[in-house]
Amino acid sequence: MARLAMLIDLSRCLGCQACVIACKAGRELAPGERWVEIREVVWGRFPELQGAFVPHRCFHCAEAACVQVCPTGALYKRDGFTLVDFGRCSGCGYCVEVCPYQVPRLVDGRVSKCASCLDLVQRGEEPWCVRTCPAGALQCGTREEILAEAQARVAALKDRYPEAQIYGETQMGGLGVIMVLPAPPETLGLPAQPQIPPLAIWKGGVQPLSLGALALSALTSGIAFFIARRRHLEEKRNSQNHGE
Amino acid sequence: MAKQTVRWVLRYRPGQRVVHWLHAGAFFVLLITGLALIWPPLSFLAAGGLSRLLHRVAAVIFLLTPVLYALLDFRGLRDLVRDSFTYTREDLEWLKGFPGYFLGRTSHLPPQGRINAGQKIHHALTIISYFTISGSGLVLWLGKGSLGPIGLLAATLVHDVSMAVMAILTVGHIYFTFVYDALPAMTTGYVSEEYARMEHAMWLASIPQEPPYVIEVQEEFWSLAGLPASGRKKRQ
Repeated sequence: MARLAMLIDLSRCLGCQACVIACKAGRELAPGERWVEIREVVWGRFPELQGAFVPHRCFHCAEAACVQVCPTGALYKRDGFTLVDFGRCSGCGYCVEVCPYQVPRLVDGRVSKCASCLDLVQRGEEPWCVRTCPAGALQCGTREEILAEAQARVAALKDRYPEAQIYGETQMGGLGVIMVLPAPPETLGLPAQPQIPPLAIWKGGVQPLSLGALALSALTSGIAFFIARRRHLEEKRNSQNHGE
Repeated sequence: MAKQTVRWVLRYRPGQRVVHWLHAGAFFVLLITGLALIWPPLSFLAAGGLSRLLHRVAAVIFLLTPVLYALLDFRGLRDLVRDSFTYTREDLEWLKGFPGYFLGRTSHLPPQGRINAGQKIHHALTIISYFTISGSGLVLWLGKGSLGPIGLLAATLVHDVSMAVMAILTVGHIYFTFVYDALPAMTTGYVSEEYARMEHAMWLASIPQEPPYVIEVQEEFWSLAGLPASGRKKRQ
């Protein structure tokens, strides 16, 4: 399947929380678990206040730090989304530590985050949050379609919101959630340039090196054992003959 | 059936053996459940958090074995720490001859005391790794949620490197045990006098030549302790 993406248009979000509930009910989440949160952000100086509803949910980074650190492969990428194989999660919580958006949680010793509705999309249906949104703030489609739609919406918003912009086109290798922002990301509490923590040297370097060194030492010892054993027995015999 | 007298030398007291096997058992549980996190073929162990529980139970045992050692046999612990960090000129000579020792020869080496230079380095690195792996492990265990990415990275790096050091030391440990028939030291507590003479001549000379330090056993072809290969040759 092509690389998919979601559109979240903050200029249309009413903060009604319908997506939160639809997701929770549709995905049959456990008590205490929610994959979508809506946070109200207010800025400006009274009485000149402005506000927006900012989603706090997995943005499905293309270069996902959580996938890089997951030791068991429970987190993985498919079709532009970051999926979760919950049966493989060990609950180590590394993803919680490294996510630049602080999205994953541990619930009952297991990761809890949006695992996408890829199953529904593959059947030609829409994700629970998208189908329930009464404001047309959410969409799901191929990433090209979503980006084009986002650009069109930003262009249409420029009169009302001069600082309107797209978020997610380039961040973290390109997010699987493209957002239409009415204001700069920093204003809305989103990092303009989120960084992958410097994990490459650990996962990509130290761990394979450790395993390699261990395997090499075992192999060397295994081969040397036969030589050493023979020579040791020989020396033992010699020392006995010598002693007698 | 022909019998022969074999002299055995007490090397490890019961408390030392108990501590050794408890520590070894905990270590292997920790190693396997830890490898489940970095070696994909073992990752099924980590699914559902089974390996995490085992890792923590074993970690507590692993952490407490030095305390147990102090309680059961304080002299043994004190000697271990002292000998591991005391090096002499003979140790340097011994280390120069290490390649030959690695390949099964001892005759070219200077006589050694209770533990040889290789064992000293092995013990010293084990003691140091004990602290680095325990410290980083406790940070990962108790500090989860407040480490941040950099803290997590640092703790995991220390933990991984310590693991690699300990695992490679263990490979060497097992290797030399079986090359030089040293296993009885940690099972019955006794090594053959032949082993003691070849590997630890100064130590052998320093201990009282009487029971329970040195015992004589009438051995037949098979014995629980494992008859030295030399016995088999003589019988033929």
